Amino acid sequence: MIISTLKRMAWALLLLIVQVLVFDQMHPWGYGAPLLCPLIVITLPMGISRSEALLWGFCTGFVADIFAGTSGISSAALTFIAFIQPPLLELTAPRDSDEELHPSFSTMGRWNYFRFMALLLLLHHIIYFALESFSYYLLTDTLISMTVSYLASLLLIVLIEHLRNNNEG
Amino acid sequence: MSDFIERITAYIHWAVFLLLEVLSGFLLFQYNHYQGSVWFTQANIAAAQVHEWEAGILSYLRMPAENAALVRQNIVLQQQNDALRHKLKTLSNSPLKGEKKGSLPLREGWGGSLNLQFSMIEARIIDNSVRKRDNMLVIDVGSNDGVAPEMGVVSGTGVVGIVSAVTPHHALVMSILNSHSSISCRLRGTEYFGYLKWKGGRPLRAYMDDVPRHAHIKKGDIVETSGFSNVFPAGIFLGKVAEIKNSRDGMAYELEILLSTDLANIRHVAVINNHSKAELDSLLTQ
Repeated sequence: MIISTLKRMAWALLLLIVQVLVFDQMHPWGYGAPLLCPLIVITLPMGISRSEALLWGFCTGFVADIFAGTSGISSAALTFIAFIQPPLLELTAPRDSDEELHPSFSTMGRWNYFRFMALLLLLHHIIYFALESFSYYLLTDTLISMTVSYLASLLLIVLIEHLRNNNEG
Repeated sequence: MSDFIERITAYIHWAVFLLLEVLSGFLLFQYNHYQGSVWFTQANIAAAQVHEWEAGILSYLRMPAENAALVRQNIVLQQQNDALRHKLKTLSNSPLKGEKKGSLPLREGWGGSLNLQFSMIEARIIDNSVRKRDNMLVIDVGSNDGVAPEMGVVSGTGVVGIVSAVTPHHALVMSILNSHSSISCRLRGTEYFGYLKWKGGRPLRAYMDDVPRHAHIKKGDIVETSGFSNVFPAGIFLGKVAEIKNSRDGMAYELEILLSTDLANIRHVAVINNHSKAELDSLLTQ
């Protein structure tokens, strides 16, 4: 229990560092850069208490917010997907799966995991960019930013997950 | 009874969810009051330290390009200085028009006693963003270095923003790429002034509102600070007119400005300390 928590913390820290030091500094044509933090929530295992999942989401978002100067935005978006993640995982996970299933390509099957991950990521991005652009009238700009960031994040996460999968298996 | 408790605990995550979302919302809206929120921003001690390390490494990597740019800027500035000095000479020989008297002290400030009225505090940007709607940057000087809120921040290519909050060693700067930013500006060589605002989107495009329709404007005209706000001295570069449009009500022009400073690509800035600002402010509140 403690070891798995520590492992998850290290994983979260790694993603946060990469996010803060690399992707927060990128401004592709002034539009949105990839956001990696949702992966921390996406990969929370099955069987974790829902309150704990929510705390993971909020704390990750809180740290990401402080470093990116987006106070409250990431924490709100990540808390939301942390709320959706457990039931969605139950729905998409294979019926005969392990009780402590760790979501990944190998444990859930490629298409299943991709669907699960892409949907959570999309929800995250919708909330993130909606909050960021509160009372924003440049709707098209926000939509472009969101789409650019979403596709970049998706590509990156698939890449990371692919690498992670190969290392594990 | 135990059944009741079981039911409650089964739904406890709803309460946790709502609590955390409300907390996020609080942080989100609290942040709009820039002044009181420095601890929840990139300027807090831990975040600023990490960004400072990073900036140190990056600026080392980028040093050659940065140096070249600085040298080039210096030359340009020297030439401009020279031209201005010439102009001042001819201006002081010619009698001033009555209407221009109001701006006399600032003109003098530029020519003779620039150093007395404004001093510069050099700084490095340690955190920056251009892709948000409300962009802020963090610089590595703070109240211990003499930086205070409402001071102007400039780079070699023009205006960068205005200090919004300070800690002892860092300052949070509201970038001109911020929906709350509004900088008093004018068209160079004319008395037409307005406010430079950014409406989001492209980081090199800003807008100047309320330019009267009888003003003779052409594309490429230079927009500079007006000096009215006392935050910036008059005549600091903001950008060039890229597009002349009608304002929403059709009563005035709205100018689209191509900003001279690429905020995504700067490292070194200077904070402008206007020594007479306190004096002027106290006059205004009387």
